[in-house]
Amino acid sequence: MLLGVKQAEKTFGTALRQNVAAIKAILPAEDVLCYAFRTADGAACAAVYADGITDKELLGALAAKPLSLAAAPKTREEAKKLLYFPELRDADSAEDAAAEILAGNPALLIDGIAGAIVLGTKKIAVRAVAEPQTAITVKGPREGFIEDIKTNMGLVRRRLKTPALRLDTVEVGKYSKTNVSVVYLAGITREKIVREVKARIGAVQIDGVPDSSYIAQFLAKKPYSLFKQVGTTEKPDIFCAKLLEGRVGVLVDGSPIALTLPYMLAEDFQSAQDYFVSPYRATLSRLLRLAAVLIALFLPAFYVAAQLFKLQLLPFALLMTISGGIQGIPLSPSLELFFLLAVLEILIEASIRMPKYVALALSVIGALVLGDTAVKAGLVSSPAIIIVALSGIAAYTVPDLTGTLSVVRLAYVVAAGSIGTYGILLLTALILYYLLSSDGYGAPLLAPFSPLIRRDWKDSLLKADIYALRSRPAVLRGKNKTRLKIRNREEDAHG
Amino acid sequence: MNKVWTWIFLLAAGALTLLFFSNDFGLIDIQKTAVVAAIGIDVSEEEPDKWSVTAQIAVPDASAAKASNVSIPAAETVGAGIAEVNRKTGWYPTLVHCRLILLGDGVAEEDVFRVLGYFLRSEFVEDSCLVAVCEGRAQEALAAASPIGELTATAIAKVLSSEAQKTGLVCVTDLRTFAKGYYSPAKSGYLPYLSLKKEAENENGQAAGGGKEEGKGTGGAQGEDVFDASRTMLFYEGKRAAVLDAAETLAFNLAEASTDLAFGQVETKQNGETTVYGLKMKITGKKRSLALQEGVPVCTFRIRANAQIADENGRAALEEIAKKAIVPEEVLRAAEETFANKLRAVLAKTAESGCDLFGLEQALRRGFPKEYDAHKETLLRDMLPVFDIRFSTLH
Amino acid sequence: MDKLKLRQICFLFAAVLPVSKLIIYPSTLSYYAKNDLLLAAAVNFLLEGGVIALVLLLARRTQCTLFELLSNTFGKTAAKAVYLLLAAFLFFSALLPVLEHKTFVTQVLYENVPSLLSFAPFFAVSCFACVKGLKTIGRIADVALPLFCLAFTVLLLLALPQADFGALLPVGAAGGRGIFNGSLFGLPWFTECLYPLLLLGHFRYEKGGTWKTLLSFAAGAGAVLLFLAVFYGIFEDLSVLTQYPLAHIAKYTTVFTTLGRVDLFFVFAMTLLAVFCLCTPLQLCMHCVRTVFPNLQPVLPAAALNAAMLALTIVFHYSFNAVQTFYMIYAAPIVFAFCYLLPALALLLRKTPRKKEVPHE
Repeated sequence: MLLGVKQAEKTFGTALRQNVAAIKAILPAEDVLCYAFRTADGAACAAVYADGITDKELLGALAAKPLSLAAAPKTREEAKKLLYFPELRDADSAEDAAAEILAGNPALLIDGIAGAIVLGTKKIAVRAVAEPQTAITVKGPREGFIEDIKTNMGLVRRRLKTPALRLDTVEVGKYSKTNVSVVYLAGITREKIVREVKARIGAVQIDGVPDSSYIAQFLAKKPYSLFKQVGTTEKPDIFCAKLLEGRVGVLVDGSPIALTLPYMLAEDFQSAQDYFVSPYRATLSRLLRLAAVLIALFLPAFYVAAQLFKLQLLPFALLMTISGGIQGIPLSPSLELFFLLAVLEILIEASIRMPKYVALALSVIGALVLGDTAVKAGLVSSPAIIIVALSGIAAYTVPDLTGTLSVVRLAYVVAAGSIGTYGILLLTALILYYLLSSDGYGAPLLAPFSPLIRRDWKDSLLKADIYALRSRPAVLRGKNKTRLKIRNREEDAHG
Repeated sequence: MNKVWTWIFLLAAGALTLLFFSNDFGLIDIQKTAVVAAIGIDVSEEEPDKWSVTAQIAVPDASAAKASNVSIPAAETVGAGIAEVNRKTGWYPTLVHCRLILLGDGVAEEDVFRVLGYFLRSEFVEDSCLVAVCEGRAQEALAAASPIGELTATAIAKVLSSEAQKTGLVCVTDLRTFAKGYYSPAKSGYLPYLSLKKEAENENGQAAGGGKEEGKGTGGAQGEDVFDASRTMLFYEGKRAAVLDAAETLAFNLAEASTDLAFGQVETKQNGETTVYGLKMKITGKKRSLALQEGVPVCTFRIRANAQIADENGRAALEEIAKKAIVPEEVLRAAEETFANKLRAVLAKTAESGCDLFGLEQALRRGFPKEYDAHKETLLRDMLPVFDIRFSTLH
Repeated sequence: MDKLKLRQICFLFAAVLPVSKLIIYPSTLSYYAKNDLLLAAAVNFLLEGGVIALVLLLARRTQCTLFELLSNTFGKTAAKAVYLLLAAFLFFSALLPVLEHKTFVTQVLYENVPSLLSFAPFFAVSCFACVKGLKTIGRIADVALPLFCLAFTVLLLLALPQADFGALLPVGAAGGRGIFNGSLFGLPWFTECLYPLLLLGHFRYEKGGTWKTLLSFAAGAGAVLLFLAVFYGIFEDLSVLTQYPLAHIAKYTTVFTTLGRVDLFFVFAMTLLAVFCLCTPLQLCMHCVRTVFPNLQPVLPAAALNAAMLALTIVFHYSFNAVQTFYMIYAAPIVFAFCYLLPALALLLRKTPRKKEVPHE
């Protein structure tokens, strides 16, 4: 119900003035305007619209102009015949009309006709479809989702021209009335997952949904978790690929980030480009990403643990180098690394939020002033800077996990600095137990490794050739398992 | 999130953070630790029933590690000596990077495990370090300066490296292997016998490897030194039993150790002239087997090697140099004879000293457990050696 | 849902449980059985394998849990009593490995003697694992297999050049008594044959399941025997001195290389597996407690269980040798009763519930 208007349920009468007044009573805001004009025989008409989100030019050319040249229509059906819009709807109450006006569609009222005609002339400023900054590929499609859900739906529909593609849209947000679309392929996606996703979205009663991350939190089984529970992507090609695997997608109006469910940790090690290069290269890239994540997590921790508790971990020559480097450093090895990691996080935070033209200056300050000068001043040692820098860079090989990795890395350093190598091992055990026991929508977070699903290894950390990917991931348990059949392949091979 | 878990995590995180920032739960970090690269042990000069312990501490430097030797002139035990290093310097000595235990030859006069036992007891001391006996005092050997300016311990470790073992020049032993022999029924073992040779004075007349003395300073060596470990000391019941010279060491290595490429000298007499050949030998097969023949233990040493002439003491014609891969038949036979003789000499020394260098007692125990008791006491004396040594060359 | 796959039980036997026998067991065994340690260990493995085969035979016949079988036969109260006894047994059987693990950790992962505080967080991890239920035992096994294969293979490959397998000769030198003592005193390390009995009804028996499980058990046993052989081949008469062979067998190859003690990273991997291995009996103990008290919140018994274990660890902080001796001498009959006799007798339990008796009028 709109802002406390008691007569909201009131149906329109035939008197234009009263109808306009009813709408203005619901929408008293200044940006809701009324464009009055007359038909050729003098009947009064009015188009009530929200300024800024309505295409006024279109309204004038396709609604006002034909009406002003014709005699006054007697019914809404007659009026519709005079209008050249493909998208016309009826609004019988002032509340319905007001809702449409707020969505950018003007309500056309004609004196003597009960009800309003809603004209689909919504015009919202949207940015162009462009390559998302967080998922740049060297080879492969460069389109990315934008903030407009209709455009995003179009991008999906363009790739999946099938009646099985379902886009079930609901409104979420008491005030924002955000369109949230549950996207899936009927017959491929497990229905239980679709039902559960819809039920969870339907259960949400919130003031507004500024971004899809809000919905992601409602869809997560453990919203307090440090680890991701819902897959995200900005690229329609990846989104469609996930739908084809049997996942459910969620598009949220106003957000360029689409959600996919169920989510597994291995997904973050995959990149769109892996599917456009040779399987060997793709496998190597994925293993490199895994190695980089392990380096990002464990290198600073082991560096601390080795210095504090287990010098044997360092080869003699390296021990001498480090020992020489830390001479005169006022901080203990653990505090030194903690401090440097904190500086790294501050630099990252600042460089993300800083205007681009200041970022270069920040790099210089970060690299030279904080790095080089701090070493020269004897505040920190060179090996520690190298370790932190390497760890920081390594974390960015898997961009979707960077945030989680930062927190976990800090936890590892604290564990290593407090109880040494055993602290690292115990934290690893704890994290493993946590991840292993995390299931979402019937899919374990660590699948296909634990529980082990050998069939799904073909596209996990390993990437098999296209012919091997005949079936959809078993972990998703969809009805339709086959995704690839090759006719006459044997003949081709021998021919 | 479950409230109980929230509290548990908060408490755990709080405890960990407290540990982290207090940073003082009995830990001794890199900044308080002295990395001991080698330990030298001698009989104390002041009190002969005590030990003099020298710790070579690796001190980081801009270019490379430098040595700082700390000597404790008289300690009841090795452990006490090392603890004394801590008291003297304020640094906690860690032995996890200790690569070398050097014993002065005075130590070898008594059971060396009176001092080596310390290294076997603790998990924080590695038994993988090299052990050697040095001529004179270990303290002086550790104060020597390496010609290329590295740590003395590193320089000695290179002389005793597995690469040196592979060329047959040195008999390398680590603490575990030596201790295994000592605690076996044979109670035997061997250690490389290191001697220090003064090579050259450098311009400043200072030791390049540091050699800064603390504690009881003995005045470090003033020149650059090289180390020779071509001799081998044999031990029985932990005491010095005999010493093998360089040729005997090579012969033992050829027959028993993991030597696969060796250099040796062979003398031949032709027309009354003695020619000394330097042979490069690639060992292609070796086997030592023990058998009982009519109740008599017979040990067969089977060695197969390919030989090349590396050098000779006379002038050689151009053609002869070109045919370096081809060794004359008489030289090959002479080489076989030479090594058989040297092995004989080694066996004589083992029989005399009681040091079961070749592990014959072990072989008897494993292969002939029923006859073991009957022969174990007299094995080294009664054993008949058979030498099946064949050197070949390209034809 | 506390359901496991048969595959996960196989992996448990092949990759998780063998780790418990690689810490202090080899040196203890070599003390009694000397160079015949393989024979002594093989006897224990054969016994365990036999019991596991019996339990799988039972699994083939019924989908009931042990609790249901006990309830069918003796009634619910008796079943609860047996489960409480089992919980107590599992708890105390975990004490020696926990103390063993503590000494291993403090000796191998540190270069000075750390306080008990360094070990205490283990119980937090164990508590968390206990709360998560039986499912995590299986899932951990999935993760553990590749980790075990990698770490164990690397450590063995590094150790093999140092090993002289001739040290195992002559066979039978320790005599029957030595081998018997080795087997008898090694019993506290062979309690895992009880685990499948407690997992009964929580996994679906598959065709050929007995062979698959026994082969996996044999693979794990083979790995332990190979380790024992390499261990004795390297240390021979010093094997009694070498308390934690896992940390030492590979070091002789790596210590003088430029990379240094890289083997330690694989030792750490094995230590991580040891953590999982230690959590398993505690998780099963927790399972027994929860079966008896199904309405209890899992956090409370898990916390109590681990707090009790922590308390015992503090009490026996300096008495590991005494506890070990006590277990080796006195625990054998109890281990035999719970781990060998009980699974064998379980075959005789009723597979179907008793029909309710109609009261006589």
